[in-house]
Amino acid sequence: MTSDPRAFFTLDHGAATTSAALVARLAGRWRLLAATSFPATVPVEPVLGLLVDRVAAADPGLAAAVGADRSALDRFARVSARTAPPRRIAVVAASERSVAPLAAAALTTGWRVAATSAERADALAMTALLLDGTVDAVLAGAGEPAGADERPALDQLADLVAAVAERRPELTVVLAGSMAERVARFERSPNRPGEVLLAPAPDAGEPPGLPLRRLLDELRAPIDDGRRAMARAAGSLARVLDRRLELVEVGFSGGLRVRAEPGGADDADVTAAIVDAAGLAGSAADDASIDGIAAWSTVALDRYRLRDRLHELRTAPWGDAAGDGAQLRLAAGRAALGRLLGATPELSGRPSPDLVVAAGGVWAVAPGPAVALALSDVVRRPGASHVTYDHARLLGPLGTIDDGEERRRIVRDLADELLVPLATVVMPQGMRAGRSAGTLLVHGASGTTELDLVPGGLELVDLPPGETAIAEFRFRDAVRLGTRGRHFAVDVAGGLGGLLVDLRDVPLRLPERQDRRRNLLRAWQSALWTGLDG
Amino acid sequence: MTSPGLPMPATGVDLVALRPLVVAPIEARFALRPGDRVLVSVGDQVAAGMPIAERLRDAHLVEVDGDLGDARPGDRWSGELPRRPGAHGHGRSASGELLFASGGRSRIATGEHDEPIESPIDGVVADVRPGIGIVVRASGPGLAAVDALGGPSRGTLTIATGPDGELRPGAVDAAASGRVLVVGSRVDAETLTRARAMGVRGIVVAGLAGKERRDYLGSEARQRAALHRLPPFAVLVLDGALRRPIASPVMAVLAALSGREVGIVADPPRLVFEGSATDLPAPDPGWVRARSGPLAGREGRWAGLAGVRRFDAGTHLEAGLVRFDDAAPVPVPLADLERYA
Repeated sequence: MTSDPRAFFTLDHGAATTSAALVARLAGRWRLLAATSFPATVPVEPVLGLLVDRVAAADPGLAAAVGADRSALDRFARVSARTAPPRRIAVVAASERSVAPLAAAALTTGWRVAATSAERADALAMTALLLDGTVDAVLAGAGEPAGADERPALDQLADLVAAVAERRPELTVVLAGSMAERVARFERSPNRPGEVLLAPAPDAGEPPGLPLRRLLDELRAPIDDGRRAMARAAGSLARVLDRRLELVEVGFSGGLRVRAEPGGADDADVTAAIVDAAGLAGSAADDASIDGIAAWSTVALDRYRLRDRLHELRTAPWGDAAGDGAQLRLAAGRAALGRLLGATPELSGRPSPDLVVAAGGVWAVAPGPAVALALSDVVRRPGASHVTYDHARLLGPLGTIDDGEERRRIVRDLADELLVPLATVVMPQGMRAGRSAGTLLVHGASGTTELDLVPGGLELVDLPPGETAIAEFRFRDAVRLGTRGRHFAVDVAGGLGGLLVDLRDVPLRLPERQDRRRNLLRAWQSALWTGLDG
Repeated sequence: MTSPGLPMPATGVDLVALRPLVVAPIEARFALRPGDRVLVSVGDQVAAGMPIAERLRDAHLVEVDGDLGDARPGDRWSGELPRRPGAHGHGRSASGELLFASGGRSRIATGEHDEPIESPIDGVVADVRPGIGIVVRASGPGLAAVDALGGPSRGTLTIATGPDGELRPGAVDAAASGRVLVVGSRVDAETLTRARAMGVRGIVVAGLAGKERRDYLGSEARQRAALHRLPPFAVLVLDGALRRPIASPVMAVLAALSGREVGIVADPPRLVFEGSATDLPAPDPGWVRARSGPLAGREGRWAGLAGVRRFDAGTHLEAGLVRFDDAAPVPVPLADLERYA
């Protein structure tokens, strides 16, 4: 792991943020000593210097014990993950019907997708798309066997793609399904540096589409890509904690959603989707994105002003992070999370996880309880989950450790420190509107607290990090909370926001009028965001 | 760049994001579309104002009998177009770009109306790819910007307003023809449209609001759709969408370049000029600028790290101390600051 076995640095080189942490071995286990984040434009060395200086200032004895001084910048190993820059793929097919599943596979493997078909675009427009210098790869596909709507245009489409491949030898070409039968047309330029890859049809495999998605995932980014590594680390975490886990990451250049179920031989069973459109960079791309953010905004801004603020956020993602800039960032984060969930419906259909891990720069500046609320606003799913935050951005770097055993050992040691507990969120579904839906008794270490459950609102119970309690729900009518029933006893763990009982509609219904909607969102947010009003 | 005896900055300034001021070398990319005709080859010397390609304004697809033979996709093609159904005599002669052949027929991108793409800079052609783009390695350095609209273009650099000024439409007249105007903190679409009509070749501005950008691009698109040949015109945006003054190190460079021929390229967005960067005023290493936040646009002297501080809305951010206008140092989020080099 490290040339100096006492400590190592982790570095997460994101698209907008560089996060650094110092991890050291103390009393036989790895501990997180310090962490910080800076804009990606700041050089790494001064950031690492700041880390060791802070450790030395806070506890000189500890710093001396692990050797954390300025010379550590040369001595300590660096475990790094680097988010791969966005890559663009042109997805082409003979018909609109057949291009849709191909585009869906590319969309959930982190590609920036431009899709068209021979039905929609003529050969000139399609050639122009494939020759565009921003396109890094082409996915040309057809069903296996080709459908009646595809067959007449397949040969011409293959010839068009082969001609482009000849003109752009660096371009990677993926021929999927029965398009792969036309690979001989690409032999006119055999020594081109870009590969011509054959792939199964978009509906092949079990579950359908998995082989094509795997190929596209590996093609898009190297193994140490921050998001791919984070998915591996999430698998290790689920295994170590023996809990069903969902990770939602929203960063500048994309989003990641991971479901990990313990029970695999090594790491947990992991299903991951990387969605380019779920990044903050996509926030101001079009009117629909602007509307999506305006719908979550607690700041009164007209459409033009909002567009300009988001443009600035894309240009300088770390700028204007205080004041209403922080609220705007969280609104953009909610909208991006919504796009992430919208692109991964198959993951939404699974049961509520035990543990939700939030990650990514979009959550970095808001207080923890407000982040938990933001997740609850968007992820509407009946059940109870403990919500945490990868505050030091360790998961990406730890996921780059090749040896699964070593990775799990470090994750096990750091499990209590790499995740900040934000809240336990309990979200029942199916309550009838009225004055009271029942009562809640929270049996904790300091006694029992009783609350009336009023549909449509949020109930907050103070439960500090590290404490556990049993929340006993007694509903007047049957509701869904994992299962359907009236009485539930739920083990809950504390967090910065304590226990958050979310009695709002599932899915969330908000007023149509912008001002009313904003006021309601602001009222909910104010309850969990200390200092929001000054 | 010259740096006459500047004081050493306080410690911690290396944690402030560094923004390049003048960069070199610059490889300017001029995008081409299928059918555009390339006029240069790799290794050719180009001078500012020299045509390097002809862009088709009405590219369309035609099919002709026969496959490619010895030709390759991207090669130029000339010949006779097939007659329209019912027409007599021979087909019209035309030229275009060979896209591909399929089923014994070749597909050609062709068109009747073209316009020249002129290099706005001196340099050497580094790459030529028909239908994709031309790369010219500039012989001079360039001032870095965040965005450029339109272009490429070139003209004589003229300071039209102060760093925090704003150019109004009435202030643009025919005397500005052929110039690249530095217009301060912001500009609106009406001024841009008028400037283009008056023969102004470019605008350099700190901020361009989204509404003005849309309105201007809409106006340009409408003219192009009518197949009007537009004069070269480019807008170089130095900072972003919000109003803020041009940074003083940038303004010092622009002032030093005033009266000289400059070119604006869009990819990457740069103001390219001849000569050496060493002749230009160097930025003070201890001088920082608030790029974002409530103090956006203000500049001052770095006074050291402030640690994690609480700012508006209860946010806790890494901060630095900055002395504005010789007043007492104030904490500013580090992420809101930038310095030039």
